[in-house]
Amino acid sequence: MANPLLQVKNLKTYFRTEAGVAKAVDGVDFEVMPGEVLGIVGESGSGKSVTSLSIMQLIPNPPGEIVDGNIIFEGTDLLAAYRQKDYDVIRKIRGNKISMIFQEPMTSLNPVFTIGDQVAESLVHHKGLNPKEARDHAVEMLELVGIPSARERINEYPHQFSGGMRQRVMIAMALSCDPSLLIADEPTTALDVTIQAQILELMLEVKAKTSNAAILLITHDMAVIAETCHRVVVMYCGRIQEIADVKTIFHSPQHPYTQGLLASLPKPGQKVRRLSTIEGIVPSLFNLPKGCSFCTRCNQKLDKCETVPPEMVETSPGHFVRCHLAKPMKSA
Amino acid sequence: MYSYFIRRFLLMIPTFIGITFLCFTVTRFVPGGPVEQAVLRYQQAMAMSGEGGGGTSGSDMEQGQISEEMMESLKAIYGFDKPFYEAYAIWLWRVLHFDLGTSDTYSRPVWDLIKEKFPISIIFGLSGFTLSYMICIPLGVWKAVKHGSGFDTGSSIMVFIAYSIPGWTAGVLLLMLLGGHAYLDIVPSGGKDSGFINETSKLAMFLQEGAQVSDIPETIRKEFPKLGDNQTINASHPAFKHVPAEKRFKLKTGNHSDLSFIGRTLDTMWHMILPVFCYVLGMFASSTVLMKNSLMENLGQDYVRTAFAKGLSERVVIFKHALRNSLIPIATGLGHMLSIILAGSYLIEKVFNINGFGLLGYDSLIARDYPVTLGILVIGSMLKLFGNIVSDFLYCLIDPRIRFS
Repeated sequence: MANPLLQVKNLKTYFRTEAGVAKAVDGVDFEVMPGEVLGIVGESGSGKSVTSLSIMQLIPNPPGEIVDGNIIFEGTDLLAAYRQKDYDVIRKIRGNKISMIFQEPMTSLNPVFTIGDQVAESLVHHKGLNPKEARDHAVEMLELVGIPSARERINEYPHQFSGGMRQRVMIAMALSCDPSLLIADEPTTALDVTIQAQILELMLEVKAKTSNAAILLITHDMAVIAETCHRVVVMYCGRIQEIADVKTIFHSPQHPYTQGLLASLPKPGQKVRRLSTIEGIVPSLFNLPKGCSFCTRCNQKLDKCETVPPEMVETSPGHFVRCHLAKPMKSA
Repeated sequence: MYSYFIRRFLLMIPTFIGITFLCFTVTRFVPGGPVEQAVLRYQQAMAMSGEGGGGTSGSDMEQGQISEEMMESLKAIYGFDKPFYEAYAIWLWRVLHFDLGTSDTYSRPVWDLIKEKFPISIIFGLSGFTLSYMICIPLGVWKAVKHGSGFDTGSSIMVFIAYSIPGWTAGVLLLMLLGGHAYLDIVPSGGKDSGFINETSKLAMFLQEGAQVSDIPETIRKEFPKLGDNQTINASHPAFKHVPAEKRFKLKTGNHSDLSFIGRTLDTMWHMILPVFCYVLGMFASSTVLMKNSLMENLGQDYVRTAFAKGLSERVVIFKHALRNSLIPIATGLGHMLSIILAGSYLIEKVFNINGFGLLGYDSLIARDYPVTLGILVIGSMLKLFGNIVSDFLYCLIDPRIRFS
């Protein structure tokens, strides 16, 4: 097996607020292989966005802080430099080796600079291109993401672009420096459903045409996961509950939370009066249960779930579940 | 977009007529106008010459002595003989021909008076304005970047103090502390240069108007080669404006017009310190807070996160991406500042006895010198109207999202 591109080990990102410490991400471990599309799925507040922002070290500090863990990218521990307040390391990687697409295309572009300036900016910054070369490359990238008459539109401002077009610009910007990892934080949530599919397809297409970057796709939409991802990480309350490849997740989910998520999806061809839901609400991050964080809503709860936090177990090769019900696979 | 600005310019006309018509009408009907003041002066003169110490009953008797014809001629002199709408039409017609009338108190064309005073106010106003932006913008930026730090809190206290003290009030206080009245004597007590201030200087009190130049002590006269022996002293004489050398900075020992170019510049600057400080104080708080809040707001925007995600350094993100956006409200305020410079100058020029546009307006209001008052209104409202258009134009220039149609 190839070496992983990115290893996240025991990542803990806490927010210190007046109400107390919110453990938004509390001990997350996963790996991203070169070229793969890894989905992180979970409800709002499950820590998926914080995880991605932690990798980029874009957590607003204060109140947020990465308190523990290692993020090893291409053999370098990014958090070692972070702890020594040396931000040059991440600065050279951001936008260059790892780039990011955000949820809000409407506000993620600077309103007072032209599209061309904004796409060319990282090329000048990281690749040392002169403004002319950077501009030419920016036009190429914009053509690649399907912006018609890119050479003219490069001089336009973000407000002259629609939401879908802006997200294309964001993709062009993110992929312009040939990154090896692209983090997409709910890239389609703010878009129309018809545009969503286009944007996802485009991401995969452009990825294939360029440096075959690995994609870390953050979403709450199981359908998006099913369409695009190779492997899936299911998060709940700042912890990973289940990791498996996409087929396994959809066909034999083991964690009651994953099962609940899948059961809540409407199925084509089946008429039901009401979609099933996961009962209850996500517990407050300030007041998580002692044991399994899902125990307050779990329909298969055991007595020990409330007091003993479950460990991650590997039930079959590559399939990890954090649940007392999961049976570890027999070691060969 | 051009059509928008053409429309804006055309809209200035009815606005201008509205402003001036309203104010002109008020001057026609408000009591205590120039005619009444002239009558009062006449009565006082009669009372003085008649009985010497004539009481109130005496002036009542005098009132009957103003004949109908006298009243009519007085009204004609001050332009009160016609109905207000007709008078306004005549006035407006003259204004369109750049004739603002003649001042009642100075007996000079209002246009000349304004032309003479305007540059003085502009120098003070612009330097105060420039200086305040030069202080407020970096301070606001630094406060936003260091939000919540000791520096931020400390400077916020300063901002609150500055916000709660109007510029001219601080002027009075500072003049008392530093102007040689009660405590320290390190700045002049008013005026735009030494030529003016020293008329009220300590030496001036010993000299009397009408005295011979030969009465001035030899040591002082040596410094004024331009003074002839047979001249009599009047308020415009350099000697009248002299102050003992050992009491002041070297700069202050001479009359302004006797100094070299550098000396004159330094002298003017030295006179400008306190008034300009007061101008800055007046604008300081709001501009600093506006700058800080605007930058803070922009630093929290998604596109700032995008800029960080590109790997740009904090400096580039703040100064290139966030600052450009947060300067929008500051820059658009520039147009409005044009008129604020003048509005604020009324009281500051009064406190520091700066013979500028503001003081002219203030004095004309007190003296009911309506041609001057209305002349200043014309200039002031034109500036304000132009300022608004300049603001809109700057808005277009900076923010690509704004395209007026």
